[in-house]
Parts: sequence; C-alpha cells; structure tokens
Amino acid sequence: MKLEIGNFHVKDIVFGEKTIYENGILTINKEEALAVVREDEHITEADIVIAKPGDKARIVPVKEAIEPRHRIGGGPVFPGVTGDLMQSGNGKTLALKGCSVLVVGKHWGGFQDGLIDMSGEGAKYTLFSQLKNICLVADTDEEFERHEQQKKNHALRWAGMRLSEYIGSCVKDMEPEEVETYELAPITKRSQEVNDLPSVVLVLQPQSQMEEIGYNDLTYGWDCNHIVPTFMHPNEVLDGAMISGSFMPCSSKWSTYDFQNYPMIKRLYQEHGKTLNFLGVIMSNLNVALEQKERSAQFVAQIAKSLGADSAIVAEEGYGNPDADFIACIVALEDAGVKTVGLTNECTGRDGGSQPLVTLDQKANAVVSCGNVSQLIELPAMETVIGELQALARDGLSGGWADDELLGPSVREDGSIIMENNAMFCGDRVAGWSTKTMVEY
Amino acid sequence: MKKAILYLNQFFGQVGGEEVADHAPEIREGLVGPAMALDKALGNDVQVTHTIICGDNFMGSRQEEAVDTILGFLNGLEFDIFFAGPAFRAGRYGAACGHICKAVKEKFGVPVVTSMNDENPGVQMFRSEMYIFEGGKSAAAMRKDVGKMAKFGVKLLFGEELLSASEEGYYGRGIRHQKWLNPEVPAVDRVIDMLLKKVRGEEFISELPMPELDLVPIAPAIKDLSKAKIAIATTGGIVPLDNPDRIQSASATRWGKYEVSKLDSLSGGVYKTIHAGFDPAAADANPNVIVPLDALRAYEKEGRIGSIHDYFYTTVGTGTTQAEAARMGIEMVEDMKAAGVDAVILTST
Repeated sequence: MKLEIGNFHVKDIVFGEKTIYENGILTINKEEALAVVREDEHITEADIVIAKPGDKARIVPVKEAIEPRHRIGGGPVFPGVTGDLMQSGNGKTLALKGCSVLVVGKHWGGFQDGLIDMSGEGAKYTLFSQLKNICLVADTDEEFERHEQQKKNHALRWAGMRLSEYIGSCVKDMEPEEVETYELAPITKRSQEVNDLPSVVLVLQPQSQMEEIGYNDLTYGWDCNHIVPTFMHPNEVLDGAMISGSFMPCSSKWSTYDFQNYPMIKRLYQEHGKTLNFLGVIMSNLNVALEQKERSAQFVAQIAKSLGADSAIVAEEGYGNPDADFIACIVALEDAGVKTVGLTNECTGRDGGSQPLVTLDQKANAVVSCGNVSQLIELPAMETVIGELQALARDGLSGGWADDELLGPSVREDGSIIMENNAMFCGDRVAGWSTKTMVEY
Repeated sequence: MKKAILYLNQFFGQVGGEEVADHAPEIREGLVGPAMALDKALGNDVQVTHTIICGDNFMGSRQEEAVDTILGFLNGLEFDIFFAGPAFRAGRYGAACGHICKAVKEKFGVPVVTSMNDENPGVQMFRSEMYIFEGGKSAAAMRKDVGKMAKFGVKLLFGEELLSASEEGYYGRGIRHQKWLNPEVPAVDRVIDMLLKKVRGEEFISELPMPELDLVPIAPAIKDLSKAKIAIATTGGIVPLDNPDRIQSASATRWGKYEVSKLDSLSGGVYKTIHAGFDPAAADANPNVIVPLDALRAYEKEGRIGSIHDYFYTTVGTGTTQAEAARMGIEMVEDMKAAGVDAVILTST
C-alpha cells in the first residue's frame, strides 16, 4: 500500500465570497459552508467562527476535531461514514495542514466534551490551541439526548465531517505544496536488510466501551465494540478509516484529527528500515466485560506472534476500566514473548496519591505516561467564548461540576474557571504528541 | 527570620548511649550536636531555636507518652519547620523520627523533614507521609545528610519550586503529578527510545514504575468445615462502645480482640464502628453486618462449622498503610494460631 498525502500549509483563514485556497490563505464562503452543514435537517442552528492561536478565546463544549481533506479520484474522506465503503490508505489524499474543523455545541455539552483555550496558561494543555480552527458552532433537534450526560452528538459530528470534506475539496485541482509518502512493502516481501531489524506492531485500543450503537469509535463505519482485534495497514488509519467517538472523558480522547495524523504511526514510519521493521497496526478495542477484555488480549497476542513481531507498542484511548484492557493486552504480549511498551495517561487523583492505573502488573515494565486526568486546572476569564461556557459546569463534562463545597462551581461569575484536566480537549495527547510526563513527589 | 526545631535521640543529643536509651523527652533552647550543623546549613534566614532529645527505647515502648510530651513542649513555641535525625541505619531512631514528624505535622501543620538510609525500616513505615531524604549508613554522612535536609527545608520555607522526589533526593511519597518536560520530548520519541532499549536488552526507565505487589497465595480449602474453628477478623472498625483499645478511626496502628464466646450476635448500642471511611449508621444499628456473628452462630448450630473462636479481631482499614496492616495481620494470626483457629473470615466495610 502506498499513500501520498499532499499538504497545503494554511497560514490564515478568512471568510469571503468563494471557498478557495490561495497563497496560504484559506477563504471560506460561510453561507455555502453552512448549507453543507444544514444538509442534515436535524441541525437547527449553525454558525462558523474562526479561532486562531493567540486569540483570547475559550472554546467549549468541543466535541470533535477533523482535518479538512479531499480524496483524489473520488470517494469519501471517511469511507463507510461519509460515503460508500472503499479501501483507504492507498492513493492520494489532499490535506489542509495547520488547521482543523472543531465541532462545538452552541449550547449543550456532555461528559465526553472538552475545552480549548487559544492563548494564555490554558493553551499549553492541548494541541488544538496551536491550530487555526474552523469552529462549527451548532445545535440540533436531538431532543432525546439534550439533557443526557452522555451524548452521541451524531448530527454535529457528521456535520463536522461534511464541513471538513467541503473545505478540503477547495484544493482538489491544485498541486500540493508538499507530499508525504507512506509505503510499506507486504510483510513477506521485505528486503533482508529490513527483515533483520527488530519488528514492531502498533496495537491501538480505540474507545469502544458502550454497548449501545452511536458512541464508539468507528473503523470504516463499523462500531469498534463489534470487532475482534484485526490487522490493519497503518495507512488506513492515516487516511480516514478511523473516526473518533463520543464517550470518553475528553483529555483521554483521540479525535478524528488525531487518527488522521496519528503521531505514533508517523514516528514508526521514520524508524522503519533504520532501527525497526514496522509490521503494521493491530486494531484492538476497549471493552467492559472481563471475558471481552481477555478475548481481545488473546487475539492481539496471537496476531502479533503469528506475524513474528519482536516488539509491540500498546496505546489506549481512555483510563479507569480500560486500564484493565491495556494491562491485559501488555501481559498477553509479554507472555507471548513480544517486548512491549505501553502508551497511556494516569488517574492519580487531585492529590496525586491514587493508584495510577486501575490494574497493575509487573510485566508492564515499560510505560510512557502522558499526564494525570484529574489534575486541577484554574484559568482566568477569556475575552471571547465560542460555544457556551456554562456547559462546563452545567452539563456534566467529565472535568467540570455545577458546584463543589470546597472549590465552588467550575464556571465562576467573572468567567474564570476551575476544572479537572479530564475536560481539556484531547489534553493528554495520548496519540503521542504529549510533552507531559508523570513524576513522583 | 524563620524558625526550626530539631529532634534527636539520646545518642546524638549527647546524653549517652544504649544505657540511657530510656531517657525521657526533654527540650533544650539552642543547639545540641547536629543542630549546630543544621543551623549553619539553613543559612542566615532560618534559625534552629530548640533541640528536642528523647531516648529511642522511651519512644519505642512509651510512644504515646513520648509524643504527647513533645507536642506539649512545642505547644506555644513559634516554629515554621520541624526536622528529625538524620537517623542513618538506626532502626529505632528512624521509627522515632517518623512517629514524631507525623505527629508534629498533624498537630501543627508545619512541614517536617527527616533523613534515613534506605535500609532503615522507618523509610517504608513513613515515606508516604513525609519527606525522608536518602541518607548515609552512619554518622560519617552527617554533614552531607544534614545539608540535604536543610537545602530542601529552605526551599519549602521560601516557596521555591519543588522538583520530583528523585531530583530532590527524598524517597518518593507515592504522589504522582504531571509535569511538562523541559526540553520538550514528545511521547512518541520516548516510546521509540524505550522500545529500542528494551528490544536491545539495554537498561531503560519506565515512566510508570510498577509497585512491587505482595501477592499472598490463596490458602488451600478446608476439607471438613464441620470440625473447623472459625475466627472473624475485620477492618471495619467494630469495637465495644467505649473503644477500650483506642483503635484509631483512620490510619490505624492498633488492633483489638474482643470476647464473643457467650454472645449469639453483636448488639447495636453495645458495639459500634469507629471507622471514619463510611457512613456508620447501618453498622452502628446492627454491627453483625460487619462482623457476622449472628450468621456464623446459626451455621454453628446447624453443624456446618465446628465452632466459632472465642474472640473477634478488629482494626480500621481506611488510610492504614500496607506496612502497618501487614504487621497487625501477622500479630493477629499468631494469636489465632495459638488458640487453634483453623480459618478466618476477613470482612471489610
């Protein structure tokens, strides 16, 4: 499989008469873009707001982030989700870099939604403060979940994908400024030189704990709760085969933008042929029942062993209950003789004194840690709020609260906030961007 | 000017050796022994005002009296920080430093700092509760160990940025917080670095060290329960109403055993829970929900079990350290074995 991603480096985003990309400037025809958003009659209100790094803006509740892209030769950017099913990861896709479409609730948030500050102390927590964000701020008529803490956010998330495809299509006839090429020879057809290197598989555990359809990450549109671990080409992940769900406390989330740019995959490509033989991705999942956890771990270890993997990297999208899947998977791999490194975040509590993962095992002796979901974060008011600030306190965001006898409400009258890292949008950057670690005091 | 007070044992307090290890607690104004080195190391903005001296055996055998006496000395004194030791490898001294530091921290809310060698049992007993600096084996390391305590004490007193346990040099307290790496190293680079080292058999350091798990194998099943003598033990804090052994409501270090040979059940108003970690209403109304004597008596009458041990054993589990829990468990088991107990039902809350 060979994937070429043609990049356009967006330097600025403005509104104008035509949606066009010229000299690094992305111009968006707002009405035309909103018409695409409103193709779904469930969208009742919608607006687009641009938020750039350094803006004194706070965005909440953020539900999803997507990189605007276009697939050359036809076909949807997200096969099986925004269009027909087709193979991704082979061919050419165009990408608008340095920007993302953020899906923001105009009013209502939920457990799985997060917050982004575009400047100040809060900006350091999330990658998205460094991007130029096309914020789709919208509401829907999905009354069944308006006051639910857990929201599927279906209309909004799908509107975000349509919008990102619409914006991405403005470069469809243009030559990219730069092309990234991702190519791996079939495993049994690699050179002696590559075969002599230690081989590695990347095991991804996307969030799939909900039994009910509509909340979990999807692979080619298929609910990850309904898969047993399977072998995938890393290009498929980079090219729209995976989309993010709507369930996990937000700092642990892998947004669709994360999948499209999955840093651990890109980093393994850099090592491929030099220090490692990158075999590919084992797409696993995260489950609730013990037998499901064990079944997935068993499948992962078997696939890794059958492929002849010398080593593995296991990354989980979540914490708490999923830690059991994470540790079980590492233990199964180690028991199969596969040297394994884990990539995760921790939940040590506000005081840092709690056990870092729900399950621990001596065999998980190599773990890279990206942060503490329950770290308290206090931030001053921002000049502008995109979305609705009260959502953080009112709607049960995983890191917010309506009131607390010691800390007061998450959202104060003056607009300043106090929250747990849990509600920072993709705040632990567990896909591999994180420059945070955990240390003992 | 900030003020500090130092705790020493009889030896370093220059009272004498083992023969005066029963020396009762005393407080002296000014500097005794290592207090001079500490005072100097603390610099011009911190002064050691008093030295407390207590015999190791006195603290060991009459701990509560010793601690109460010393807290009495401190009452009314102005001080901003409390030091103890260094205790090097001296086990009783290390435990004494831990006990007094813990009590002072709890009562006065000031930072406490001590120092011990890694083989000093006081480290495991108290590391989660205070700053214990990694110290030398013997008094030859006095200057160095005092220096480390003093340097960190100054940082604490003047609000300087505190680094991680390993960077500062104290035993990690099991408190983990997130930290931005400087210079920045993204997680992907850390993963590749760790993976290559692991694959090549080189040394690597996990960012999440796994605590040593002390797993106890499950005991073999009892073949014939109808002949077995069963005891009940609980960490749910059920005690006679007046809590005669003064078991603590949290972070327990004491346990008790109470006779139930003539009782068919535990009555509310006669027994209660002193456990501070859960709503006591149900357990106070019916203590059998924690210590199921009533159900066991029924089994005994039905002949399903041989007999019930004459005593039940109790302590409080909330906040209790693993080390203290293990010690109390071993002590209980010794007592049960001496009484011919075959099996124990351990209940929590």
